[in-house]
Amino acid sequence: MESVTQERPATPAPVRSEPVPDSSPAPTPKTGGLMEWFTHWPIERRVLAGFGLVFAGIVVISAISYRNTAVLIENSRLDTKSHELVQLLDSVGEALGAAESGHRRYLVTGDESYLTSYRAVVEQMPEYIRYLRGLTNEGPEQQARVATLEQLIARQLEAEAGAITQREKHGYEGVRHLALSGAAKNELEGIHRLMMELDFAEQRALHSRVAQSAGSTRNTIALLGLGALLQLVLLASVYFLIHHDVIERRRVATELQSRGELLQAANKELEAFSYSVSHDLRAPLRHIDGYAALLSKAAGEALNDKARRYLQTISDSAKQMGQLIDDLLVFSRMGRQDMLRTTVNLDQLVKTVLHDLRLDLQGRTISWTMHPLPEVPGDPAMLRQVFVNLISNALKFTARRPETKIEIGAVKRSSGEAEVFVRDNGVGFDMQYVNKLFGVFQRLHRNDEFEGTGIGLANVRRIIHRHGGRTWAEGALDQGATFYFSLPLSRSLR
Amino acid sequence: MTTVKPILLAEDNPRDAELALAAMEEHHIADKVVVCHDGAEVLDYLYCRGIFAGRQQGNPVVVFLDLKMPKVDGLEVLRTIKNDMNLKPIPVVMLTSSREERDLAQSYALGANAYVVKPVEFQQFITAVKELGVFWGVINEPPPEGSEPIE
Repeated sequence: MESVTQERPATPAPVRSEPVPDSSPAPTPKTGGLMEWFTHWPIERRVLAGFGLVFAGIVVISAISYRNTAVLIENSRLDTKSHELVQLLDSVGEALGAAESGHRRYLVTGDESYLTSYRAVVEQMPEYIRYLRGLTNEGPEQQARVATLEQLIARQLEAEAGAITQREKHGYEGVRHLALSGAAKNELEGIHRLMMELDFAEQRALHSRVAQSAGSTRNTIALLGLGALLQLVLLASVYFLIHHDVIERRRVATELQSRGELLQAANKELEAFSYSVSHDLRAPLRHIDGYAALLSKAAGEALNDKARRYLQTISDSAKQMGQLIDDLLVFSRMGRQDMLRTTVNLDQLVKTVLHDLRLDLQGRTISWTMHPLPEVPGDPAMLRQVFVNLISNALKFTARRPETKIEIGAVKRSSGEAEVFVRDNGVGFDMQYVNKLFGVFQRLHRNDEFEGTGIGLANVRRIIHRHGGRTWAEGALDQGATFYFSLPLSRSLR
Repeated sequence: MTTVKPILLAEDNPRDAELALAAMEEHHIADKVVVCHDGAEVLDYLYCRGIFAGRQQGNPVVVFLDLKMPKVDGLEVLRTIKNDMNLKPIPVVMLTSSREERDLAQSYALGANAYVVKPVEFQQFITAVKELGVFWGVINEPPPEGSEPIE
């Protein structure tokens, strides 16, 4: 809604086409950058990073330990199997040996009782084979050996069965040479060799597994030890970080407290000072003015015009200084006074201010443009002072205009602030001096042009600052002025 | 006229006292004014002791009290007056240069009947003192003498 077209440096800077070798930014060095980067982290982030590392370490160590333990369990399972296989091979070898010697004794004697162990082997062999297969189902080499062994045993048993049938049919003479050398001499040799191989391979696997288990256990122990050490170091660093931070905070808190006490003492002193200014500085002024008046009355007609003018000047100066002291005291009070914190309806506030200023408005032609104003959190009396000062200023500096135009409005900013402005068509000011506008005792006009003590805008700034807002102004000589102030819409009063 | 009750003006600064008297002279009430130069003198007057031991009995019609005075300050005098059953009815007007909220609040809390800030401008000062003198010394009806102690 603002229509002020102020000469702002909005023109974009001209783009340079020629290369400027000197101004190319130097590449930031990488070495040492990491450390610097870390030390720039806030304490919270550093502590979090420390705990994160500890947590990650725990996860890694747990995962590796789990894997190693799983390997140990698996190895122990395989070991059990290996032991069983070795035992089973022993039993099978023994049974086969017993069957072979029994069947030879039968061949010699014809006594059927010698066939007991042979028959038992024939009966049990499928079971043995199944066991053997089961125990070797995880190693293809051993599996192949078992398959060969199975064939050889079958051939041995078959040969022995053939010899037994021969003995039954033809008697001892028919199998005499077999009875001496055994029916399946070749197979038996093969079987023994194969069983040796099986046994050997299993023992080798067992040994390598034992070595692996031992290594894995050693690794786990080393890892756990190293991990624990690292965690300790990390935790200790985190502890020192926190400890350092706590100490630092405590130190800052103590310092703040002592500074606060100093500040409080200084404030008290200032209060005493302004009290004494208020009381003691006024008295001599009153006396100057009073005795000047008494003199003027006592001397009466004896005084010439010049003398009367001198007395008048003495009196005027005393009054002006009295006004200055009063304004200064208000200014000092605005800085010290406790603030009320309520919601202030600025619309209503401006209405009461205009009502209070009605005496100043008499005999003036003023066209008011009033836009709706927001409700803001703040101190009603202080904000009232702001509007009194700004509107009085607007009235003062438009006094010589045939028609005075004053506009009051507000813009709500997305930043959670309300911007309020008071615009007039008065004598304005040179933007060159904009920084002096809000200073104490700063005036842009001579006293015989416009009266004033130069405190009004300083008060406005002080009050707005205490509300957490900002003040600024725009204007041009003889083209009016606009005074702005911003107020936070949320409660953040100082 | 022995029944004229005085106005008590407590003012340590002789110039302020003179200006106040000059103001009251314009309304011909200056001769009723008794000037005390510090708080102790005020109490001496009220209790008829020290240099006022032989004064005519009776309370003043009003006390104009400066805040900042040597020996006993204005607030102390005010506290003494308002805590004494016999002096309590005397109207007390604080007449001071201080506009400090703290002084205002304390004065009223102790029972001051009015609080007037001395204007810097002489004309306003004259008007203020004159009006005060006329109001409290002439217009206002003072408390009845019955509450006076008989010594």
